[in-house]
Amino acid sequence: MTTAAATAIPGAESAVGAVLFEANGLSVSFGGIKAVRDVSFTIRPGEVFSIIGPNGAGKTTVFNLVSRFYDAETGTMAYEGNDITSVPTHRIAALGIARTFQNTELFEHETVLTNLLIGHHVHRHTNLATDLLFLPRARGQELEFRRKAEDVIDLLDLQRYREQPIGSLPYGARKMVEIARALCLEPKLLLLDEPSSGLNPEETEDLSFWIEDIVADLGVTVAMVEHDMNLVATVSDRVMAMADGAEVATGEPAEIQQHPDVLRAYLGH
Amino acid sequence: MRFVLKTNYGQDVNLFLHGGQRFWYGLLLAVVLLAPLVLDTFYLGEFALVFIWAVAGTGLMILVGYTGLVSLGHAAFLAIGAYAHTYFLTRGVPFVLSVPLATLFCAVVGYAVGMPALRMTGIYFAIATLAFERISAFVIEHWEGVTGGHFGIRVPDATVLGVNIDGPVGFYYICFGVLAVSLLATMNLLRSPTGRAFIAVRDSEVSAESMGINLARTKCTAFALSAAFTGLAGSLFAHKIGYLAPDAFTVQTSIQLLLMVVVGGLGSLQGIVYGAIFLGLLPQAIAFARDVLPQRIAEIPGLEPGIFGLILILFLVFEPLGIHGRWVKIRTWFDEFPLYRKATYKRQRSYLRTERVR
Repeated sequence: MTTAAATAIPGAESAVGAVLFEANGLSVSFGGIKAVRDVSFTIRPGEVFSIIGPNGAGKTTVFNLVSRFYDAETGTMAYEGNDITSVPTHRIAALGIARTFQNTELFEHETVLTNLLIGHHVHRHTNLATDLLFLPRARGQELEFRRKAEDVIDLLDLQRYREQPIGSLPYGARKMVEIARALCLEPKLLLLDEPSSGLNPEETEDLSFWIEDIVADLGVTVAMVEHDMNLVATVSDRVMAMADGAEVATGEPAEIQQHPDVLRAYLGH
Repeated sequence: MRFVLKTNYGQDVNLFLHGGQRFWYGLLLAVVLLAPLVLDTFYLGEFALVFIWAVAGTGLMILVGYTGLVSLGHAAFLAIGAYAHTYFLTRGVPFVLSVPLATLFCAVVGYAVGMPALRMTGIYFAIATLAFERISAFVIEHWEGVTGGHFGIRVPDATVLGVNIDGPVGFYYICFGVLAVSLLATMNLLRSPTGRAFIAVRDSEVSAESMGINLARTKCTAFALSAAFTGLAGSLFAHKIGYLAPDAFTVQTSIQLLLMVVVGGLGSLQGIVYGAIFLGLLPQAIAFARDVLPQRIAEIPGLEPGIFGLILILFLVFEPLGIHGRWVKIRTWFDEFPLYRKATYKRQRSYLRTERVR
């Protein structure tokens, strides 16, 4: 099934060889609205891949297709060479794809620490019985999860928020907690949906350092939907511009910023 | 204010955070264990009932307080546990085996009912559970060979290790033992992935799913566990009332169970116990008040449901977090005195929720 998907990709991109994720001709519509039309892209391991575009271009919809919240009407998706077009939604995390949400979707009533521990869920090797009795295996697992959560807390400097309930955190901190929770999955591919929305300029600058750290230190591949062109230009290796549900252009950030079709999509003509 | 110095991760995994908690809960345990030495047998019976309600409350708290699913049909599981236990006892199964069997049976029924019912959400799920309660009541009324139909069935006396548990002291200890085990199991659940998955489903289904949590299976597990604890309470309840008849388990019982966890405080284990004390002792308190109050007030018909309803309304308006929530606020006030900020627990509306993807 992977060969079929691979051959359909235009020659130049499949020649690179290493491809972590590839989408091929994805489309989805809601009622009469074609939210995503025939979108194809590849994500290479170790890169930062950004999707930009005006409001309503279908960027978040693409993410929702990748994380299998929506079923694609046409097209296929392959991850690490395996077809994932129709795997169940909850299996996506176990495959190593983690994501954050545009306006944060944290577990509001719980502390930061509990949120991070829930992030470890895919790594559990206990069952209901061992959990009910809290057998040594369950305790060992908890200690391991707790230690790993602390590693992520250290990485993203969240120590002072550790015991605080999400409801009492400032918005900027929530965004970081959500990234931290996604990192607890130990993903290979991290999808960030507008990570800088609601952040002030300093926080956005910090964010660009975090993203570089995540890619460099943890070896995680990052795909993000982003409006802040400064951030996109700083951290991205490649950028895909979308408008009205379709791909406009894909390439290096500088190239895309000057691309006539992209400018037309943003400014109109 | 107490500062806990944490020097290893085990402290975040342990049940008790610091020595103070260990001391107070130990003292409570000692008081409960020694109570039969001083208490009258009437009060022992009342407290045994409180313990039974608390066991059922554990089940409902897992479902309502931690998984965020509201069930209006839990009286059915109370009934199924009670009838199954009685059935096993009359067939000669010993008490120590019959109780786990009845519990397991309820878990299986819970899972089977949960699978189709949990495809619905919110109020529709609540109505589905209500329908299940009516169906099971109908079955109990008409399956005369097992349940005795409308005439009911007598619960046989039972012995544990040669001790007749139908004596007030023995029953008190059995009920307390079952409650202690139930609470311990629930605490274990909540500090391990299974319980955290419930909480994740409660707070954000979208997010839970993207964390790799299987929504359908997690909800079914929660419902089955909830049914199991309620059935366990039912098997003890059978001994408490001594004679099972369909009118012992009605929709009103379901609603009382729900009120118990709401008044106690959703999302807290302490709330279960507070709610059970409220539900178990309020009728006695009202009966006692009737003797003291002027005759004119005491003779008002429907005083009990009236007061019950009034207290509930007051809780919903002034303290939605229940008795436990109020206690947490009082404790925080003392902890932070004189710097307590009134807004700490103010409910705030969050406008920045992701547009739900479904």
